[in-house]
Amino acid sequence: MDSEISPGSSITIRNLTKVFSGERKNLLALSQVNLDIPSGQITVLIGPSGCGKSTLLNMIGGFERPTEGTIFMDGKQIEKPAPDRGFVFQDYALFPWRTVLGNVMFGLVNTGWKKKEAEEQARRFINLVNLNGFEDAYPHTLSGGMKQRVAIARALAYDPKVLLMDEPFGALDAQTRKFMQQELERILMQTCKTVVFVTHSVIEAVYLADRIVVFTARPGTVKGVVEVDLPRARKYTDDAYLDTRGQVLSLLEEEVEKEIQQDGLEPPQD
Amino acid sequence: MLTKDYSYTIPGVTEHGFKQQLLRAVRFLMPFLIIGGLWEVSARAGWVHSSSLPAPSAILGSFWQLAWVKGVLWKHFISSLYRLVVGYLLATVAGVTVGALLSLRPTFRLLFEPVLSLLVSVPSIAWVPVLLIILGLDSRTVIAAVFLGAFFAITYNTMRGIETVNKNLVNAARLMGVNRVRLFFSVLLPGSLVSLITGLRLGIGYSWRALVGGEMLAAMVKWGLGTMVFQARFWNDVSMMFVGIIIIGLSGYLLDRTFLRWLEVVTVERWGMLATQK
Amino acid sequence: MKNKKNLIAAIPVVLFLVGWEILARNKVVNQALFPPPTVIAVELADLFFKGLPVQSELLNHVGETLVRVGLSFSLGLLVGMILGVAMGLSRLTYFFFNPLITMLMPIPGIALAPLFIVWFGFGNETIIPLGVLSAFFPVVYTTVAGVRSVDRQLVQAAQIMGASRWKVISSVYLPWAAVYVFNGMKLGLARCWMTVIAVEFIAATNWGLGYLILSSSDNMRADIVYGGIFLLIVIYFVLERGVIHTLENRTIARWGMIHST
Repeated sequence: MDSEISPGSSITIRNLTKVFSGERKNLLALSQVNLDIPSGQITVLIGPSGCGKSTLLNMIGGFERPTEGTIFMDGKQIEKPAPDRGFVFQDYALFPWRTVLGNVMFGLVNTGWKKKEAEEQARRFINLVNLNGFEDAYPHTLSGGMKQRVAIARALAYDPKVLLMDEPFGALDAQTRKFMQQELERILMQTCKTVVFVTHSVIEAVYLADRIVVFTARPGTVKGVVEVDLPRARKYTDDAYLDTRGQVLSLLEEEVEKEIQQDGLEPPQD
Repeated sequence: MLTKDYSYTIPGVTEHGFKQQLLRAVRFLMPFLIIGGLWEVSARAGWVHSSSLPAPSAILGSFWQLAWVKGVLWKHFISSLYRLVVGYLLATVAGVTVGALLSLRPTFRLLFEPVLSLLVSVPSIAWVPVLLIILGLDSRTVIAAVFLGAFFAITYNTMRGIETVNKNLVNAARLMGVNRVRLFFSVLLPGSLVSLITGLRLGIGYSWRALVGGEMLAAMVKWGLGTMVFQARFWNDVSMMFVGIIIIGLSGYLLDRTFLRWLEVVTVERWGMLATQK
Repeated sequence: MKNKKNLIAAIPVVLFLVGWEILARNKVVNQALFPPPTVIAVELADLFFKGLPVQSELLNHVGETLVRVGLSFSLGLLVGMILGVAMGLSRLTYFFFNPLITMLMPIPGIALAPLFIVWFGFGNETIIPLGVLSAFFPVVYTTVAGVRSVDRQLVQAAQIMGASRWKVISSVYLPWAAVYVFNGMKLGLARCWMTVIAVEFIAATNWGLGYLILSSSDNMRADIVYGGIFLLIVIYFVLERGVIHTLENRTIARWGMIHST
């Protein structure tokens, strides 16, 4: 699992704007986003609800096209989904009609692996996420945490240069979530991929990120970037950790209040 | 739908303005206009026998003849409608009553539910040969077929509906001190309405099919849409057949879409009880 | 547990038959109109043995109907699935066919029978096409709904893992739609069975369960009519349980995708 891995790619986003045309009016989701995602690092996108971070991730994935602006990966413009990237969805998006093994093998088979080697490679990744013994299980029999691990294995198996994760632990309970953060850290430390990770949770962001990008409320744009230099493996209660957390929170709180006001509610007074 | 930019769109106009509704209506009619046009052309050019496949204009002409010049279409339609209404109303009254009674005791439910569910799946027209022997070849057979077609479906769905009323509603009512009669009318019946209406909708579909089939098989029936289509064969009048078939289809469609949809809207949809609203 | 339920379900049927037998034997009801169940059973058995060992008359009738249903259902299913998938994936196809299907679906198969008789004549030439139509409509309708309801994320996941357009269709759209297709299949089989029998009433000339029932009715043979109806119910029951349930259990039940209606 070392010399076979390709180094991660870098992503360059320039003047990115996204408008959704709706029934009666248009929605400006992202406005003039300029962002660099360095290769081999874990970049976390964080911001209030509706700030467009998921939309941005979808565009890096190739599922949506920007209205204006460009996204480049290693110098080439991103136009459609392709197996040089991997995507982990919040709702797992596992194929219910395929076993765990079948799911993880899917990307491998599509990228030209022969069936026998694909199966071996898939088993290696299932092992990596600690799901040995579940290769022949159908997704509906698995717990949320297990399903997400399958999704991660599936996205990593065909060795994409960039891993995109859209609030992957959002549907899990607090305990499982914490466990998964640690699992993910362990897994990612064994590769040197570029990771773009979207989350709501500052705790999660500081735990996982090398770099945190804070977004403004809708229309989303980059409010600030916090470099995270903490050593791995991280601890939630370290002073340095808490400091960084404070930094991010101060950037974020203002935007969260703005977003609550946009929704027509009064932000809590404290 | 896989569109070129890989963003997923769902077909269908979602706007609601008048212009959009007009566009939608035109788009709906387009296939009919295209096919109708091709049809008319092939009929006129003689590519098909006018005796087996008359042009749409000929069919319209026939419709005009039957409806106004000779006035018979109306009589056929009313006769069919009469039989449908009588049979269906009887089935509704009987079905709801029996279904309600059966739902009151668990033993009845256990005993009769499987049998009923099986009877619902019997094609309504299968009863006609029996009815022909018992009741004869006239209108009564058709009405009885209409009745049977709807009765089982309505009974079964009423029973299931009452059975599956949310237990919490029943308990809440009981706590508030209702007696059994009030419980039935003010909780069980409204609570079972969704299922009941499903039963009514299924029933009208089965009844309509039974009506058309029954009219075709009951030889002494002289007036009726089914009869009209059947007899047109003896006069080799394909146009008349088409008129009959179109009206049969249209009526069946409208029966479900308008009357029962209206019923649904003013009761269960208003109360937010449809599954699609939950 | 299941057997107990079946036993209880059988009680009203048994009571009904016993009551009927008693009333008929004691001439309380007209025996010609309501022959006792024992007489019916005897007549059915007679028909079964008639013509053996070469062939059984009863089996010939039933067999003819089953062949018609089998053929027309398969054809209707195939065409329905293909068109349904096409309509789900292509806007143009959808907008062209959907209005036609919406308007033609409510026409009872039997209403079209006289027309088809004029065009194609009596017998299978009319019965089979109508059977195909009756299976086709429910299948295409549900298949379209299934394809259009595919979870978008599954499509995206397949795309980003390098699946070509065809691969996305075959590995995401089709399996997803399978649940809906099964519902359509159930409905389609029911409709096909009903329509074939009904059209046989009018258009069959010598063989078929429907033909048997109606000709017996013409001859005032109530016993065979009842027997025929009984067979009708039983065979349909077996078809639905046997064929469709087993198929279902092999596929969508395993995937955890059953939606109970």
